Amino acid sequence: MTGLRRLHLSTVLLWLLAVVWSYPVVWTLLNAFRNSADIYRAPWDLSWPPVVGNIGEAWTRGQLGVALANSAYVTAMTVTVVLFLAIAGAYSLTRLRPPHRALLFMLVLAPLIIPTEVLIVPVFSMFRTVGLINSLPGLALFNVVANVSFATVILTGYFRTIPQDLIDAARVDGAGRVEVLLRIVVPLARPGIVAVAVLVAVFTWNDFGGSLVLIQKPDAFTVQLALSRFSTFYATDQGLTFAGMAIAILPPLLLFLVLQRSFIQGLTTGAIRR
Amino acid sequence: MVESRTRLAFLRRSRREGAIDLLFFLPLLLLLAAFLFYPLVYGIVLSLHDTQGFDLTDFVGLDHYAHAIFGDAVFHRSMVNTLLFTVAAVVLQTGLGLFLAVVLADARRGRTLLQIAFFAPFVLASVAVGTVWKFLYAPYFGIFASVGSALGFDTLAVAPLADTDTALWAVMAAFLWRFAGFNTVVYLAAIRALPREYYDYAVLEGGNRFQQFARITWPLLWPQTFPLVLLTTLGTLRIFDMVWVMTAGGPSHATETVATDVYVTAFRFLQVGYAQAMAMILLVLILLLAIVEYRVLGRRAAMVSS
Repeated sequence: MTGLRRLHLSTVLLWLLAVVWSYPVVWTLLNAFRNSADIYRAPWDLSWPPVVGNIGEAWTRGQLGVALANSAYVTAMTVTVVLFLAIAGAYSLTRLRPPHRALLFMLVLAPLIIPTEVLIVPVFSMFRTVGLINSLPGLALFNVVANVSFATVILTGYFRTIPQDLIDAARVDGAGRVEVLLRIVVPLARPGIVAVAVLVAVFTWNDFGGSLVLIQKPDAFTVQLALSRFSTFYATDQGLTFAGMAIAILPPLLLFLVLQRSFIQGLTTGAIRR
Repeated sequence: MVESRTRLAFLRRSRREGAIDLLFFLPLLLLLAAFLFYPLVYGIVLSLHDTQGFDLTDFVGLDHYAHAIFGDAVFHRSMVNTLLFTVAAVVLQTGLGLFLAVVLADARRGRTLLQIAFFAPFVLASVAVGTVWKFLYAPYFGIFASVGSALGFDTLAVAPLADTDTALWAVMAAFLWRFAGFNTVVYLAAIRALPREYYDYAVLEGGNRFQQFARITWPLLWPQTFPLVLLTTLGTLRIFDMVWVMTAGGPSHATETVATDVYVTAFRFLQVGYAQAMAMILLVLILLLAIVEYRVLGRRAAMVSS
């Protein structure tokens, strides 16, 4: 009897905590549809009817349209290049036999403990010399470097689960390396590749440090950069700021909600299985 | 003679095969060499020089390092803050993450939904999280101010981010909110994979819930705790985004971290060589902590795994 009641209580507390935890996200999304006066007057209640104007204004006055396009472009480019490099690299490390394989693996792991923040000054200096400042491909390149190591490590985990017999059999039948990669490895590791693609996309979309340093021209602003200007330029217009934030957080949030299983699986296997 | 010649031919062939195998790794290797290992070397060079803008001028040896370590109060502050923040993040994220995972593992219904609720902040951008929490902390209309005063506390004018005593912890709370769910998700997956029989046996022996946790769950989770602690350490020592958005290091360096200090010194004050010396000190700290954690925790994790 007491046990039952205790279980009941802990469940209620857990759900209560979950509601509190979700509150900032829900609040952000709801405030996108309220005007500033209402947000100031009563931070947490709902206003009806919703104010749709914020969204349109964030789009035009905050130049979010351009920023969204820039972010989408950088993200797409980063994901494509990371997948290409990481798939080929992980394939070589797990299913082929390059010389000094252990050393190569170490080289892939090393960047995991060298954060981009530590190298931002020399990278900026390099990018300036070769003219990659204010360049979206340059920003993509920066994000590729930041993401390619963990992507490769996660993929090696997935590639190792593919039975070697299958690959040997194909090789005996005369299939080349590229054929084995495209016909066997990639299809069998598809869940892992999807997980990596989603993770890299979210991390790139959310990147702030890189674009803060490498992008200075407003017409090359990413969403995060535009957003960081919002709260200073439109400090008095909370509705507008919240609308901008809602727009910026929705793509990764939706991607996560739709692909939640593969997202979490990619993270747990990647982070833990070594 | 004949045998050795075929052996030689085989060796040569396999070397060629190896070279082709390497070809698949080459693009990745070239990229890392050009944009990671080269900047690392150039960063060391930079840290040993005075600079004019971003160009090297005089070689100064270890002067920048000496100044940072012995003569720069702001850097000392940022170092202490970064370490404090990292220790707090490791303890709180691991603790809260594990607690939520243990409770979630027992949830009868809606586990997926609960998991989504706790994990969702992880996918939100630091700029958005920082800005939202800035609003939550705002005096007069922020949630903490108004809920506190509704409950009868004198909190209406309280501004946690503007107070040097509380600012660091206020940023910490937002950081915890964003990342604890990650640890929860990893722990939850591991707990669900633990053999049920251990717990059945513990119940037979009369062990209570706390004993079950202390004797079974916690020790068996070492293979997760080690990488989570390492990831949290690596992710927190570099902290820049959230701090920059919420406080930009202020008020009066109360939330200054090494990364924000480096950024301001390099890109606002243009003391590029000096900034890079601070960045290199941070890198050394990161390497040291990673090695210590590997030595201390990695061994335990390996013992459980085998």
